[in-house]
Amino acid sequence: MRQTAGTLNRIWLAVLGILFVAAGAALLLQSNGTLHALLNTARFWESVVTGDLHAFFAQPWVAAFLLLIGVILAVLGLLWIIAQIPRKNTAGAYRLHDDGSQGFTLCDPSVLAAAVESRINALPGVVSSAVLLRGTASAPDLSLRVTVNDRADVQDVIHRIQTSTLRELSYALEAPLQRSQLQIEISGRSQSTGTVVHSTGTVVY
Amino acid sequence: MNPPGAHAWPLPGAGAGDGPLPGDRDAGPDFAETGTRGQTVLAARVIEKIAAQVASDESSAGGSSGGFLGIGNRADLAARPKASVELAGNIATLRVEVGMLYPVPLRQATEALRGRIRTRVTELTGVDVREVDIRISWLTTDTNGRRKLL
Repeated sequence: MRQTAGTLNRIWLAVLGILFVAAGAALLLQSNGTLHALLNTARFWESVVTGDLHAFFAQPWVAAFLLLIGVILAVLGLLWIIAQIPRKNTAGAYRLHDDGSQGFTLCDPSVLAAAVESRINALPGVVSSAVLLRGTASAPDLSLRVTVNDRADVQDVIHRIQTSTLRELSYALEAPLQRSQLQIEISGRSQSTGTVVHSTGTVVY
Repeated sequence: MNPPGAHAWPLPGAGAGDGPLPGDRDAGPDFAETGTRGQTVLAARVIEKIAAQVASDESSAGGSSGGFLGIGNRADLAARPKASVELAGNIATLRVEVGMLYPVPLRQATEALRGRIRTRVTELTGVDVREVDIRISWLTTDTNGRRKLL
């Protein structure tokens, strides 16, 4: 139901991996003298920096520059950590109007989600459900988490959701579902829909 | 001058010209005379109630009922939807908050509702309804919600 930063992680891990592989390869080439032969760099036993480093780092702008670099890296790291928090990323209000000149038609996705939940909860064996809508009104994206009790026919529930619930949502939005995800959980709880069963019979006093 | 949030019905003969409008060739002395009797002021609240009633009567849209100070409201297809109006002279922009049955094609249903509200409110009040903004606030799967009056 919640989205994680999988793509972001893959991108940044790939970037960092490439950087570290390149640095490691450069160090290996430098240590065995290949880099010196190719690019005429200093040999690994030669000192590259000459002069007094203490005097260089004693300059005030160097400390400020290093501090700035550190802050930038810290902020980037913090943002990356914050991005790991799973998010629902719910859609904004669905716009159901074609031409806004006559007026707007808006429907919050949570309203549709509540209606879909109501439909799913009425299916036999379903204990509870959670529905999340993303995307747009013309390309909706549906995530379902359905909890069924241990005596429910899971295949039947899936079949009913696919043939009934999803079609109803598509019919209501007048647009095909872009993507639908279904997660089934099993619970020991019993179904309690509160459905009133109308019956006829003879009342004996 | 009209009070804020009110619409004065355009009265022939009540303007600066004090005569029938150019399109009112058939308007006789009686028509001009009515302008001298006074002015009809239509409060914005009236337009809101008419719009809400039209939405409730002539479509499958509903409102909410019960509760206290907006707390504990429940969806009710028999209730009148909430409507508000923004008046600019003789031009009105309506905002209606409705609940509907699920599943219905929401675009078609709201488009039909919009057309109905525009037509009926214009017919009943004379105000030119340019835009009707509709917000679907709830959807119900319970088809027994609408009360049937015998």
